[in-house]
Amino acid sequence: MTAVPDLDQLRAEFQAALDAAASAAELRALRDRFLSRKHGSVTLVVKSIASAPPEARRALGSRANALKQEIERVLDERERAAAANAPVAGAVDITLAGRMPALGRRHPLTQVRERIEDIFLAMGYQIVEGPEIEDDWHNFEALNMPPEHPARDMQDTLYLASPVPAADGGRPATLLRTHTSGMQIRYMESHEPPVRIIAPGRVYRRDSFDATHTPMFTQVEGLVVDEGIGLGDLKGTLIAFAERFFNAGVRTRFRPSFFPYTEPSAELDVECLNCHGAGCPLCKQSGWIEVLGCGMVHPAVFEAVGYDPERYTGFAFGVGIERLALRLYGVDDIRMFYENDLRFLGQLAP
Amino acid sequence: MKVPVSWLRDFVDVPADAREVATRLATCGFAVEGIEGDTIDFEVTANRPDCLSVYGFAREAATAFGLPLRPIETTNVASSGGAPIPVAIDDPACGRYALAFAEITVGPSPDWLAARLTAAGVRPINNVVDVTNYVMLELGHPMHAFDAATLAGPEIHVRLARAGERLTTLDGQARTLEASMLVIADRDRAVALAGVMGGSATEVSRATRSIALESAWFQPASVRVTARRLGLKTEASARFERGADPAAPMRALARAIELLVETGVGRPTAAPVDVYPTPATPRRLQLSRDHVARLLSDRIPDQDIERTLERLEFRLSPGPGGWTVDVPSFRVDVTREADLIEDIGRHWGFDRIPTTFPPLRTTPRPSSPGAARARLLRRVLCGVGLQEAVTFTFIDREAATRFAHAGGVVPIANPLSEKFAVLRPSLLPGLLDSLAYSRRRESPDVRLFEAGAVFSPSGERQQAGWVLAGSRGEHWSGSSGPVDFFDAKGLAELVALSLGAPIDVGPTDDLPWFAAGRRARLVLADGTPVGSIGQILPAVVAEHGLGTADEVFGGEVDLDLLSRAGGSAVQPIHPIPRHPSVVRDLSILVDERLPAATVRGTIRTHAPATLVAVREFDRYQGKGVPNGQVSLSVRLTFRDADRTLTDDEVQQAVEAIVAALTREHGATLRGQ
Repeated sequence: MTAVPDLDQLRAEFQAALDAAASAAELRALRDRFLSRKHGSVTLVVKSIASAPPEARRALGSRANALKQEIERVLDERERAAAANAPVAGAVDITLAGRMPALGRRHPLTQVRERIEDIFLAMGYQIVEGPEIEDDWHNFEALNMPPEHPARDMQDTLYLASPVPAADGGRPATLLRTHTSGMQIRYMESHEPPVRIIAPGRVYRRDSFDATHTPMFTQVEGLVVDEGIGLGDLKGTLIAFAERFFNAGVRTRFRPSFFPYTEPSAELDVECLNCHGAGCPLCKQSGWIEVLGCGMVHPAVFEAVGYDPERYTGFAFGVGIERLALRLYGVDDIRMFYENDLRFLGQLAP
Repeated sequence: MKVPVSWLRDFVDVPADAREVATRLATCGFAVEGIEGDTIDFEVTANRPDCLSVYGFAREAATAFGLPLRPIETTNVASSGGAPIPVAIDDPACGRYALAFAEITVGPSPDWLAARLTAAGVRPINNVVDVTNYVMLELGHPMHAFDAATLAGPEIHVRLARAGERLTTLDGQARTLEASMLVIADRDRAVALAGVMGGSATEVSRATRSIALESAWFQPASVRVTARRLGLKTEASARFERGADPAAPMRALARAIELLVETGVGRPTAAPVDVYPTPATPRRLQLSRDHVARLLSDRIPDQDIERTLERLEFRLSPGPGGWTVDVPSFRVDVTREADLIEDIGRHWGFDRIPTTFPPLRTTPRPSSPGAARARLLRRVLCGVGLQEAVTFTFIDREAATRFAHAGGVVPIANPLSEKFAVLRPSLLPGLLDSLAYSRRRESPDVRLFEAGAVFSPSGERQQAGWVLAGSRGEHWSGSSGPVDFFDAKGLAELVALSLGAPIDVGPTDDLPWFAAGRRARLVLADGTPVGSIGQILPAVVAEHGLGTADEVFGGEVDLDLLSRAGGSAVQPIHPIPRHPSVVRDLSILVDERLPAATVRGTIRTHAPATLVAVREFDRYQGKGVPNGQVSLSVRLTFRDADRTLTDDEVQQAVEAIVAALTREHGATLRGQ
């Protein structure tokens, strides 16, 4: 009797049969062929051990049992895998469209506004809000723009046909605010320094509609007042803002400018996002795009709200949200933001 | 202001390359609008009328490049008596009035002069008018030439116009003047709008032989008012209303006479008249070294401060801690120390200022509650599939009136157009416009919301509004149907829940923009109205460009009232009930006009305290339900915090409820 080569051949036979088996039924047949209690080929070898010569019985026994266990383990494994892949009742066409819940998007102007707000909130600013219809004092006079000041022309104003009472019982509103600076005045009138606020909201100017102008637009203005605030603080803060808003390495420059309520005044430019400073139609070949106006608060503004200009200095800035949104989304007509076309708004990130 | 570099080089030896000059001056506060050949178009901010001139730019360029500035040399034309035309200033809005006299021969200007005017954007007219314009561009001081023979008297009065007085200006417009307008008049009539434009009756023509050249100073506010009232902006008014140099009139006259002689146009015939009742006193300011360092965050060396200001023609004398500074008369913008510091900073270079960061010395104060509220609301409404819209605050009067309460709307005095004539009384008309816009453009299913201000004659309020149309959502597995009233109501409930203030529907009496039978007022628990919901009237929907068959639902709530009712305190979380609840469903037949709220009320009134929730889960009319009746199914949930309820006591409670429903509403249990 030559039982020893039988085991190796049996293992090879099993392996070949296993490789060919695909279905659960074939696996069942395989189990029957090798492990059946009556005629399984491994079972027969195990049974034959008793008739083997005594000196070979022990070694043969352990090898035959090992093969039996191995085959059992492999078949168990394959049968579990086959069972897991068996389709349940009611299999579906997985390529049909999913039932996605409807998801609205925040308006792009909101998204840009919140992005700006978040940057300044992280720098320790608080958000203040106020009325969109204002009185002359808060919109102009307290901001160093007395009646007949030529700078009032810079912000051609929409006036109310008749005054409307103010919510806080103060001066009745006579105009649509041309900037959110009125909120800064209101805040300073009721709080002592230090001041570190942003004032976001809609503002209005009597501008005709074109690709870059609408009579209504959105601003975020900021104000910092404390002892010892200088132009360097303005620069540091606004460069930090530009780096967070655009990207960490964005190039910036400050150009002197004029606003009646700041002295010195400046405008912050960042390198054109389109051409990176090389010059293109988007930046009118200058390589720079205007991002915001800013400056050191004019002492006349402090006098108007009862702050001591000898003791306190501060800076203020104003960012136009539409302009940034045009750049950020690569949109070329500001009017798109007010049409609320779902084909436009639906493209935004949630 | 268009500045030819070759003209600039009459006064300062700047580089001939326009780009180089432009780049340098841009960093000093003069934004460059464009460059065309030799000419740079600078933007001049409203505070710098002195730079509405080539010489003003020469001064800035000399400072920026550190080069000497050549003064304009003119022979001083002394004023003396015996003026051929006497001048009287009758109104203080004219601070100074000078006239020079010359015999001239009118013709075209020499080419070089005409070319410079053209480069600076001014059209050549004739050799006399061109000289006045040339001097205006060079020195920044506007002048005007009268045909002396046309002046009645001849005399000049500077006075206010008589109400209704007529004047035909050089542009050919016959204008009716107001009493607030300052005019130049001869003996009989107004001949020019002071500082704005001359009159055609006295203008220099081909026939003119002798001229009276005006060089004056007018109050900025006066010129501004006249220009605005007449809607007339000119090169002259732009300079006067920003503030001309009161010291300039005689120098400008001398320069003009010199040019007339030099170009062979004519010669002076008499010494000029100069009426200057109260000469301006030069401003004197104190400049503190410490204040410069504080505002600019840097210690700028004394020599740089002195050099910059002196090149800009300030006069400095050192004093304790700084300088005493005399301001030149042309710098009308410099009235305080900060203005001087700006000039120092501009020419030092903002890019050289160190970058620092303001210290946070105290805890930031909390933000306005409205800011966080708006964010929460946007996230909730976007999360349930509404798209945020931003619509205009001003709208068409008729569209607004449809949605206005009895108080009316807030009109704008000077609207851009009729489409934007009044402030919105409601968010709905704007949202409806946007909804119609998308529905007409391939997006039939529209759900929009907006949060923002609305206006009435009694004030401004913050609201949230929403509009819905089309289907709730299409899917191959079946449609969930068109939106209806209860979508609009559910959104109101969601908004109220988000702000922590439960709401209910209340009686409607004044919501004419919603369809009767499908509209409701929203009220707080105490009955305060906080908003409304409903189907927008088909006629109104049609006015916004949709079909009358389009059903549009909408709603609006007052955010201030809601959040005040909701409060800002964090609500405690109650422990989860330890004992199970018992649920019983009831289906009853009642009159179809009986409101569900009445049924719920009757159930609550007659139920024990263990009834914790009652909610309708089905409403059916049709087969098996008699006409005029409705089958209403409600789910009752009973629970006791301290023990498990027995079937018996729940059964008793249900029986009591059914008995009450039968007694009070004639209800019958269905299927019995």
